Amino acid sequence: MNQISTEEEQEEFLEEQDSLWRLALSPTLWALHFVICYGATTVFCADHILGVDYLATLRLGIGMLTIGILAAIVWLGWGAWRQWDVVRDREWENDAGNNEDRHQFIGHAAFLLSLISAVGVIYVSLPVLLIASCA
Amino acid sequence: MTRRYPDVLDPQGTYPPTEDMLAEPVPQDVQEAQKKRLRAAWKTPQGWRYWSAVNNTEVGIWYTMTAFFFMLCAGILAVLMRTQLAVPENDFLDADRYNQFFTMHGSAMMFLFAVPMFEAISILLLPGMLGARDMPFPRLSAYGYWCFLIGGIFVFGSILFDSAPKAGWFMYPPLATKEEGIGPDIWLLGLSFIEVASIAAAVELIVGALKCRPPGMRVNIMPLYAWYVMVVGGMILFAFPPLIAGDFLFELERSFDWPFFDPVRGGDPMLWQHLFWIFGHPEVYIIFLPSIAIAAMIVPTVARTPIVGYSWIVLSAVGTGFLSFGLWVHHMFTTGLPQISLGFFSAASEAVVIPTGIQLFAFVATLMVGRVKMTLPMLWIAGALAIFVAGGLTGVMLAIVPFNWQAHDSYFVVAHLHYTLFGGMVFPVMAGVYYFFPFFRKKLLSETLGRWAFWLIFVGFNVTFLPMHLTGLKGMPRRIFTYPGSAGWDWLNMMSTVGAYITAAGFAVFVYDLLRPKAYQGQIKRNPWGGGTLEWAHDVPEEAWGNRSVPYITSRYPLWDQPKLVERMDAGRYYLPDAPEGKRETLITSVIDAKPLMVQRVTGPAWITMLAAFFTGGAFIFPTFHIYEPAIVCGAFAIVCVLYWLWTSTAQVPDQERKDVGLGLSLPTYASGPTSVGWWAVWITMLGDSTAFASLVFGFFFYWTARPDFITIGADHATGAAVALGVTLFVVSWAATVLAREVNKRSHITLARIALALAAICTAGGAGLIILSVLDLEPTTHVYPATMWALMVWLVAHSLLGVIMQLYALAGSIFGKVTPQYDADLCNVTLFWHFMVLTALVTGFILGVAPRLLA
Repeated sequence: MNQISTEEEQEEFLEEQDSLWRLALSPTLWALHFVICYGATTVFCADHILGVDYLATLRLGIGMLTIGILAAIVWLGWGAWRQWDVVRDREWENDAGNNEDRHQFIGHAAFLLSLISAVGVIYVSLPVLLIASCA
Repeated sequence: MTRRYPDVLDPQGTYPPTEDMLAEPVPQDVQEAQKKRLRAAWKTPQGWRYWSAVNNTEVGIWYTMTAFFFMLCAGILAVLMRTQLAVPENDFLDADRYNQFFTMHGSAMMFLFAVPMFEAISILLLPGMLGARDMPFPRLSAYGYWCFLIGGIFVFGSILFDSAPKAGWFMYPPLATKEEGIGPDIWLLGLSFIEVASIAAAVELIVGALKCRPPGMRVNIMPLYAWYVMVVGGMILFAFPPLIAGDFLFELERSFDWPFFDPVRGGDPMLWQHLFWIFGHPEVYIIFLPSIAIAAMIVPTVARTPIVGYSWIVLSAVGTGFLSFGLWVHHMFTTGLPQISLGFFSAASEAVVIPTGIQLFAFVATLMVGRVKMTLPMLWIAGALAIFVAGGLTGVMLAIVPFNWQAHDSYFVVAHLHYTLFGGMVFPVMAGVYYFFPFFRKKLLSETLGRWAFWLIFVGFNVTFLPMHLTGLKGMPRRIFTYPGSAGWDWLNMMSTVGAYITAAGFAVFVYDLLRPKAYQGQIKRNPWGGGTLEWAHDVPEEAWGNRSVPYITSRYPLWDQPKLVERMDAGRYYLPDAPEGKRETLITSVIDAKPLMVQRVTGPAWITMLAAFFTGGAFIFPTFHIYEPAIVCGAFAIVCVLYWLWTSTAQVPDQERKDVGLGLSLPTYASGPTSVGWWAVWITMLGDSTAFASLVFGFFFYWTARPDFITIGADHATGAAVALGVTLFVVSWAATVLAREVNKRSHITLARIALALAAICTAGGAGLIILSVLDLEPTTHVYPATMWALMVWLVAHSLLGVIMQLYALAGSIFGKVTPQYDADLCNVTLFWHFMVLTALVTGFILGVAPRLLA
């Protein structure tokens, strides 16, 4: 029998905020990468704004951005992988109604979202590597 | 974060409940007395008062039936169009009527069926799945429904008066901006009105899924449907506002000749295409995901085994939600954007296949590990999987730019989109109707008629749309009302038309089955499919209270895994078994772990919501005919209605601070800040509102990249001082509002009132100065001054709302509705103002600083 105390509940709320953020962080990085790629290309390819063809600069910039974002996603994914903790307890489903399963489930989902976000980032940066013209 | 009153507002007592507590029997006479009181509190109004009901079971049914009715109407238009196209050079419909029909078919299917249907079904089902008594804001659902009904009749009715829009459901300018008559205005205003209802429902559903789950239903065990509802609700918040912003600009051009899409005066039709498809593509997934969620509920029941890969499905839902926002330009591959840009969107379109595929594989895997019984709902799901996979494959083809250039605007695209929408939406929804009918009607649909309907629709659908791939590849363009016999498309079109009639016959069988009297069936079994989720603990015969008591949940499939659950729910062994005060109540729990936090008073039947919807309708419908005075009057009355409804039924000072909810737990009856549902609703609404504002700001930068002459005209308008002072006043107003909240908490009531009054004055002053700052500009001359005016109008309209809120909080303080302890209204107003001050700062930057930097 446990009494609900103020401290416990406030702790839980903090944990809530943390975890929900962590779940959406990798896809948010994907979205950020996407918006920057699209926005930068639009500005660099609209010749009245910069005046010259800066495509090489654009490709270099997007390449570096991609590496940075991917590194961040890998870091987040690594954290999520450890939170999931599948290697130690071999528990794939995390379907019990306790704190530990909830914690690991969020890790699992965040890890998978990091994977899909990394794939998304790589896909989106491919055109810049392959296409060498604004036309 | 708000200072709290720990001793009063925190839950006290035992949680979670122990087995001993749950096992303790409740005497029969106590049970009966509790039931009687509960029944009285949740009684559905009788007679003509029935229509004042706001309960999710009533509103949900009206909502689904209305959406379904619009679908049938749009389907009839489709059959008429197919009749016209059956033979070459047919004169069954003329070009004008044909254009009205295809525009209305698309618009109605999207706005009057697909999205409302998701919200209708969710309002109907979600409380049952979550063991909640009702949604958190029943009157908001009712308001949303009446708005939808009025708007829907208005928009669809236009076709009877030969004045429907005819520029296509995407309303591309300049065709639509130049169109004669009121068709485009009906489309823009009528559908904006309906979008407001959609966003209202999205707020309701997200808060419902986050805060109204039963104790113990943590995020890792909640039904997948709730996950999908959260994702889709979030998508609506980010997808619909760009369209609302687009509608706003479009209607300003139609009504006042502000040239946002007129290239002659610096405008650009491409902005509309961007805003429309930033909405339009995620929209497809907004339709698809909840229908797949229905499949995620049916498949485990049919396979008699828990879903395989729960986390993977959550990933797919969230991942698809995000990725679907990176696809909008694949509707614009032929508009001449840079190839690299097209590449990004092609890549993102291919990437979204991964999470979409994962969902389907998870279902197939569940079916493989389980013992499948081919029930009627499963038959529809099987049909959905087959059709959707075919549509997905052509989707991969269309996402590849060179192929897209070839197939663009041909019947190939028509085939693709119908395959994805029938497979991704119509079939799963039909499965859902068969599956959930016993839940919401306490009757079963006919197995024989159901199989007839399925095979007629399945065969008819494929006969209609499979040939269209070929018709398209042979070069037949979309949206033409007739074609020459020499083109070689005649037999394909004849086949499609025959298929359309077979499909229609299938729907006729379904409608007959749905509507025929079913009294002979007697009382059905309680859980006819043997489902494991909470909605199947429903009462047969029907009771309006939702759940007899709100259970404590420890498993994903509580009906399978918690053996005494239903029996104990029925006995009133769990939470809130009684309504001693005769009030409607439900539990509010924490977001991640669903720990009980408070008892929420839920609003009951009322006419005011209908009246509010009626006046809101007037405010949107009168401008269609370019009559503005009655529209303004209606708008004012709508605001009064909403204020009355908020004042009399939300965030009331409770007559008792805490309440014993059963099982030794005592919960507060009032909450402010993040514990309360109202705070979440404001937060979520403002997220959507900011997205619409961001779309307007996007418009500014879009013109800057697209048009070399954008900022040259009038960029140095005399704004400096007025803008700076206006924005400063907004910042002061915000600071005063925050101050009011803080000092009110510390019981300095007079100071709080002075701060609120000062805030309201500053808001009015700020709005005045911002108006003044753009007065020199002539919005009809060029898109630049028009953009400045549009931003001004947006800010001023919001400051009107801001003033009303500040005065509402002030009145609340004066009349005892807002006190130092009960300050939910003030907290919500402050939250609105956080967004408001951001809007003012950004607007100020664009009016005063950006033109000087970018010119």
